[in-house]
Amino acid sequence: MKFFTGRVVKRAILLFSCLLLLLASVCFATDYDQLFTDANDAMAQGDLPAAIALLKKVEFEKGDESGAFVRSRMQIARLQFALKDMEKASSAAKEVLAVYPDNSEALNFLASVKQEQTPRYQVFIQDCLRFLPQLLKGAVMTITLVVCIILISPVGGLLIALGRISTFKPISAVCWFFIWLFRGTPLLLQLFFIYYGLPSMGITFKPFTAAILGLGLNYSAYLGEIIRGGIQSIEHGQMEAAKAIGMTYWQAMRRVIIPQTYKRLMPPIGNEFIALIKDTALVSTIAMVELMRSADQMFNAYFNVTALILAALIYLLFTTIFTFVFEKIEVRAGIYENR
Amino acid sequence: MKTANQPLLSLKGITKQFGSLTAVNGVDLDVCPGEIVVIIGPSGSGKSTLLRSINFLEEIEEGTIVFEGNEIGYVTSKHGRRHLDAPHKICALRSEIGMVFQHFNLFPHMTVLGNVMEGPLTVQKKSPEQAREIAVDMLAKVGLSDKRDVYPATLSGGQKQRVAIARALAMRPKLMLFDEPTSALDPELIGEVFDTIRDLGKEGMTMIIVTHQMGFAKEMADRVIFMEKGSFVAQGTPEDFFANQMEHDRIKSFLNRIL
Repeated sequence: MKFFTGRVVKRAILLFSCLLLLLASVCFATDYDQLFTDANDAMAQGDLPAAIALLKKVEFEKGDESGAFVRSRMQIARLQFALKDMEKASSAAKEVLAVYPDNSEALNFLASVKQEQTPRYQVFIQDCLRFLPQLLKGAVMTITLVVCIILISPVGGLLIALGRISTFKPISAVCWFFIWLFRGTPLLLQLFFIYYGLPSMGITFKPFTAAILGLGLNYSAYLGEIIRGGIQSIEHGQMEAAKAIGMTYWQAMRRVIIPQTYKRLMPPIGNEFIALIKDTALVSTIAMVELMRSADQMFNAYFNVTALILAALIYLLFTTIFTFVFEKIEVRAGIYENR
Repeated sequence: MKTANQPLLSLKGITKQFGSLTAVNGVDLDVCPGEIVVIIGPSGSGKSTLLRSINFLEEIEEGTIVFEGNEIGYVTSKHGRRHLDAPHKICALRSEIGMVFQHFNLFPHMTVLGNVMEGPLTVQKKSPEQAREIAVDMLAKVGLSDKRDVYPATLSGGQKQRVAIARALAMRPKLMLFDEPTSALDPELIGEVFDTIRDLGKEGMTMIIVTHQMGFAKEMADRVIFMEKGSFVAQGTPEDFFANQMEHDRIKSFLNRIL
């Protein structure tokens, strides 16, 4: 009996311990799941520190086959991040890295912590430094275009204006047609036509040539009308007085009439040139890399709005400078009126 | 009348039409060298148009302009159509005939000196030094030497008109045309302009003056012409003209209105 009892007890203990072991192993596994569930509940209730405390209980086991350790530490890191405790957030991520040095989630997390720790203005400055070189390169092209058109269009405009007021009908008709055509169609269409359309007729331009041509023709047409208005606004007696001392029509134009239009023309022409600065953005559509195109490229590459803001600032800088310069020129051109 | 040799300017049958309106209707006029002709008459009578025709600022339909014995300004094409002569010839003619306008028409963007220099410099292609010398002389003549470096905007009306006279004189014209030179002036400024014109007359300048100032006509004209509806109604020496004005009802009523 004793023997029997002893065996039974031994077996029972063995069985029990086996059962216990089994139970324990099951409990051990479910223990972490339970922890995560509890942590989630805590999070749902807004008690983040409690959630963190629960998650901390997960310990590293060889291999971490269930991934519970990494999961828990990254969760802690995110929670600490949400709590703005960057120190603890990074140390949680670093715990992961200590075991898995290549864990990309942890690496990315550390990078964003670093980003978060740098002040806003510093981030902006960093972006600026990253984008500015290319934007400035584009801005140089924009200014090149603007300067070229500022040199070309007044000459073209003056010729068109003189043609329009010519008493020789064919010339005046041609100039009328020119203005009608280029003022009556979108600049974008003109640029497309010159760059994409003309090659089909065997005429091919480089982007820069096409841009200068399109902007030049368009702005000559506009300035032509403005200059014509300016010339015709000069009192008729001026032409008569010039003729009365023996001047030819062209001498009178050159010496008497046109110089008097300068002051009157400055405000509308200044306006046109400010519009020109912005219109150069249109040539970005015909393979020209200028300020707008550069900004667009940066924006698409980094999806960072700073590139667009910077471009806007550069445009504003240009237009502001132009506004002031034209005000100064206007005052100077009209100096005879108040002296 | 002064000397009665060959007329400097001789107009024959000048006719100018604006559409259906005949502004100048077959006017004949001989002006001798040194003579001062004053034309008076109501507004719209064609005085200014006649004056402007002499300077080709108006193109006339009929009539001839003879200057220093040569018929000038118009040519007849092969098809028998009459038109203004080539621009460079017209310009050359204009540079020999000075004109002063009612509203001065000074060049506002040039200084006073620049205005007076402009003709010699641009038209006669004189050097800046020569042009300047002429301009300085002319400004001295009209008594505005101290204003040479200011812009016209700062001058009084009388001063502006004197600068305009200097500007015309700088071309050394043989004939001066004055188109209501004092009509745009305040009454107290008229005197200085007339003094300047009077001085010119004393120097022997041949002048045709359109004016409403009877006192001036009386005082310095060699001949006064009354013009109405495009034609000369009466003319004579001032003494004769103003003594016999009663003969013409139109002149009488005109003079009564403006005196």
